[in-house]
This record gives sequence, structure tokens and C-alpha cells, in this order.
Amino acid sequence: MNDQRPGMFVPALIGGCIAGVLSGIPLVNCLCCLWIIGGGILAAYFLSREAPAKLTAGDGAIVGIFSGIIAAIVEAVVNIPFRAFSEKLVQDIMDRFSQYYDEMPSGWESWLGDGGGEGSFFWTILGLGISIVIFSAFGALGGIIGISLFARKKTVKDAEGVVDVSENSSHHQS
Amino acid sequence: MTIKTKTSLLYFTTLTGLVAWIGGIFLAPWLKYRSQDLSGFLYALFSPTCHQIPSRCFSFYGYPLAVCARCLGIYFGFLLGTLILPFSTRFSTLDLPRAKTFILISLPIAVDAAGNVLQIWSSPNWIRLLTGILWGILLPFYLLTGLMELLLRKKGKSYPPREINRN
Repeated sequence: MNDQRPGMFVPALIGGCIAGVLSGIPLVNCLCCLWIIGGGILAAYFLSREAPAKLTAGDGAIVGIFSGIIAAIVEAVVNIPFRAFSEKLVQDIMDRFSQYYDEMPSGWESWLGDGGGEGSFFWTILGLGISIVIFSAFGALGGIIGISLFARKKTVKDAEGVVDVSENSSHHQS
Repeated sequence: MTIKTKTSLLYFTTLTGLVAWIGGIFLAPWLKYRSQDLSGFLYALFSPTCHQIPSRCFSFYGYPLAVCARCLGIYFGFLLGTLILPFSTRFSTLDLPRAKTFILISLPIAVDAAGNVLQIWSSPNWIRLLTGILWGILLPFYLLTGLMELLLRKKGKSYPPREINRN
């Protein structure tokens, strides 16, 4: 039986880049954490395609963590050019509000202010570090979900030695 | 460290982290109400994974929560699923939920999110919360199982030697 595990970097890179780009683009990133989970699922899909051996939930977690880390870095990079756009957008929104309202609705002022503020290098790095941790967790979740959806269905039962051959088994079982 | 110890450690670490995470969601507006600067840090902490649009967030002490209603539902559902998991599996299996189960449970949140993104409808926050809770309940059965398999994995091979079972 070939137990060699496939390389995880390329699948993680693909899933992470796509998730990072979509998370970094303003307005498109409205699906919150689902892009990161989706990136993990995508990474697991590409991993399962080239996997010669059976994949486990742990493999999905690993490739998902990697994709989450890559997504956080890509999102930070993609966000840079859009930051100027975001600041302009925030200013336009605030100007428009001031035409119709004497006072900003509750919560909006801080939301807009937080989004339009100028960040220091320290806060940028801290934000990146936090994103890496959070995106890794969501990526791991996505990777595990992806394995359950796309992993090859060749299975081996537990220590009792019962062999379960799945209906989609088109590969030789070792 | 025995298997039971590792499993318990993973479970309670996850549960603690989850409670702290949800606590932070409510702490942010409360601190803002108290005019504490730390609230800004907390809102920023949750910003990578949530748009935090105030009209889509529930309020607490007059200020929006740190995440939107859908995300809040997912986290609440995740907590609920985490509490249910020991009683349903007793940590005796590394099997993941079936793909059909995932697709079925994901349908409400997927349809609701798609409808909102495509501007076909605008769901009230309680619908977002409920669809999020439903989806969130299933997630710990993936995450904890996967992490458990990683934790119990011996060098060079998986433990136990069983892969994804699809009955």
C-alpha cells in the first residue's frame, strides 16, 4: 500500500490565494469567514485529486491551516491598494450622511472611523499576526470539511479487520 | 499522555477558547458603553472575519456586537455543537459527518446568504442568526474530529488506522 502523503503546499497555495484575494477586496468580502473556509475546502479538493493514499481528517486540517496562513498574508497584501479606495469610500459615506443627518446613527461612526483610520506599522503587523491565527483555524475547518466531501472513498475498517470497499472504488486496493 | 487525557485537553481547550471568543463579542460593545479604549481593539480583533456592518448586528448596551447576526449564530451554533458532541460520539470515533448531511445543513445558510448577496431579498437579523446556528452546530463535528486525529497521530501513521468512513 502506498502511504506516501502528497505535497500540501501547492493545494494550500491555491486555496489560500483565492481565499485571500476574495477576503481582501472590499464589498466582495461581505461573506465574512466563509471565504477562508471555502479556501480550506478548495485546498482539500486539490489535495485529494493528487493523493495516491487515503486522506484523513488530520490531513485536511494541516492543508487547511496552511491555506489559512497563506490567505491571511495574501489578504494583507491585496488590502493595501484597496485601502486608499476604502478611505475615499468612507469619506464619501460620511459626507453623504452629514447632508441628511445631524448625527450619525449609533455604531456607524465608529465602524466607519475604524475602517478609514490610518494604521501604524505595529498595528499592521499585529493585525497580520491575529489574522494568521484566526484564518488558520477557519482554514483548518474548511480543510476537514473538504476532506469529508472529496476524499477518496477507499476505506479500511478498524482493528477488527473488516474491509469496506466503497462503490466508487476504481483504483486497486493494496 | 493517555488518549483520554489528550482528548479531554483538546475538548476543554476548544470549549474555553470558544466561550472566551463569544464573550469578546459581547465585551466589545459593553466596553464601548463604558468608554473604554480596549473596545476598539476587540472590534478590530473580530474584523478579519466579519464585515461588522452595524445594521446587520444585534445591539448590546446600545452598541453593535463585534460580529454580525450570521457570524454570531455560527459561533453560538458551534458552542452548542461542542456541548452536544461528547454525548453523541463519546469521542469513540474519528468519522466525519456524511457529505449529504453537510450539504443539507448548509442549504439554509447558503440560500439565505446568496439571496442577500444577489439582493433578491434582505433577511432580518433573526433569520441570519438561526441559519448561522443551524450550520454552526455541525462544525465542531468536523473541527474537533480533525484536530483529535492530528493529536492522536503517531509519527508516520494515522491513529487509529482508519480513514473517512462513508457508510
